[in-house]
Amino acid sequence: MASEIALSRPRHVMRAASDTPAWRRPWALVAWAVLALLAFWVATGTTPVAFVHLWKWSPALLRGLLANIEISVLAMALGTLAGLVVGALSLSPLRVLRVVTRWYVQVFRNAPVLVLIYFTTYVFPFELHLVSWTFPFPDWIKVVLGLALPASANVAEIFRGAIQSIPSAQWEAAQSLAFRRSEIFRLIVLPQCLRRMLPPWMNLYASITMSTALASLVGVHDVVDTAQIASNTVARTDFTILVYFTLLGLFFAYCYPIARATRALERRHDRH
Amino acid sequence: MSDALLAQAVAALRTVGLNYAFVLDMGERSAFLRGLGVTLQLCLLTIPCSLAAGVLIAAALTSGRAWLAKPARAFVEVTRNTPTLVQLYCAFLVLNMLITQHVKLPGGNPLTPFVWVVIVVSLHKGVFHAEALRAGIEAVPRVTLEAARSLGFSQRQLLSRVELPLALRFALPSLVNNLVDLVKMTAVASAIAVGDVTYESIMIWTQRDNVLELLLLILIFFGLLTWLVSLAGRWLEERLRMPGYGQ
Repeated sequence: MASEIALSRPRHVMRAASDTPAWRRPWALVAWAVLALLAFWVATGTTPVAFVHLWKWSPALLRGLLANIEISVLAMALGTLAGLVVGALSLSPLRVLRVVTRWYVQVFRNAPVLVLIYFTTYVFPFELHLVSWTFPFPDWIKVVLGLALPASANVAEIFRGAIQSIPSAQWEAAQSLAFRRSEIFRLIVLPQCLRRMLPPWMNLYASITMSTALASLVGVHDVVDTAQIASNTVARTDFTILVYFTLLGLFFAYCYPIARATRALERRHDRH
Repeated sequence: MSDALLAQAVAALRTVGLNYAFVLDMGERSAFLRGLGVTLQLCLLTIPCSLAAGVLIAAALTSGRAWLAKPARAFVEVTRNTPTLVQLYCAFLVLNMLITQHVKLPGGNPLTPFVWVVIVVSLHKGVFHAEALRAGIEAVPRVTLEAARSLGFSQRQLLSRVELPLALRFALPSLVNNLVDLVKMTAVASAIAVGDVTYESIMIWTQRDNVLELLLLILIFFGLLTWLVSLAGRWLEERLRMPGYGQ
């Protein structure tokens, strides 16, 4: 494993270096141009009013984005745990378990995410009563649950697909080498599966992160909600344009690197 | 007669703890049915629009002209990596506001929220269709094209008789997958107060507190729609199957 990483690294670096002129330079130029414009505005005191407002609101927007990221990470963690269990059950020799997990996956993959978020938000109570204590059940946790449901169904499918993509000849070969069933799974099948699962899992994470924007519709103070408050408070046409396109830019800045990394991983796997 | 049957059904469901009393209310029942109709309309309009957008974007991506391909690629990347809801807000709250301010038509702004949902969802899913079609076009073997060229096909015939039919067949499974996603995506229409099934349900459950019952109905409805789309997709795959290609 270690030697493989050591071997693959120079190739990777070489490819990145040959890509640099085509990819990095336009971005670097744009960044320099933006910096120069900002410096000019600050130096001459001619910053447009909309940008001054955006600067004032930027801490609130970033805090909102942090809420989105927290929700997406928690939902993905929960979804992955539940999805692995469901995925493992869907491979069980018991027919009942296979049918039940099949239904679970079908229902939660085919339901609109927005409807699932409404479902968890309105069906669960505002507070939890446990024996004699009362816990508040905040909306953002309900959104985490609402996103974890489709995430778990998708992870289950990814897991099942990865396990089934390992040729059965490997199981037989390992059995003939006197590996136990648990050893075959742990030492031979799982390492290959993890590798195959990573790109679709990252895709799923990006898609769940984008779905966190829906949290604003059930009253969670996320970045979309903050942008709406900002645009209503400032109430200027140019600021409204600016803040909504900033919103687009923030999500793009978070999700695009994930998409690039996913594609790079897929390309690397293609070669192996 | 049918009202009596409905009342019986509601009473029967009440015994298992589900409160569907709203279907006995004339106004709420018609609002819910209208919502179902609007969602259906959204799907039926958005599916052809998204396919048309997908073909155009795929044509731009594979045109080989940098001034066309580069902006198309940028559009694809931005659309794929931002939430649909934010795109809808950018379109409806920003572009629509600008159009309302600057275009002085006698009837006011002709673009309703419904139209914006159709535009945004069509373009969003069009991007995914375009990626599927591009992959399909790239999957057509070079040798096949060379063989067709040596048989005297013109450039246009080559495209319409050989390359596109094969590309469509390669892309069909992912196109159907995208359309299933599209049907689910129309639920965001409720965010800008288009009276689709989700929106009408919210209106009903704020009055009656019967969230679970309505959500079950919505899930069944969307399940039905996505099932129909995948059924149509499978039928099309079956029909278009060519011996020697695919399974």
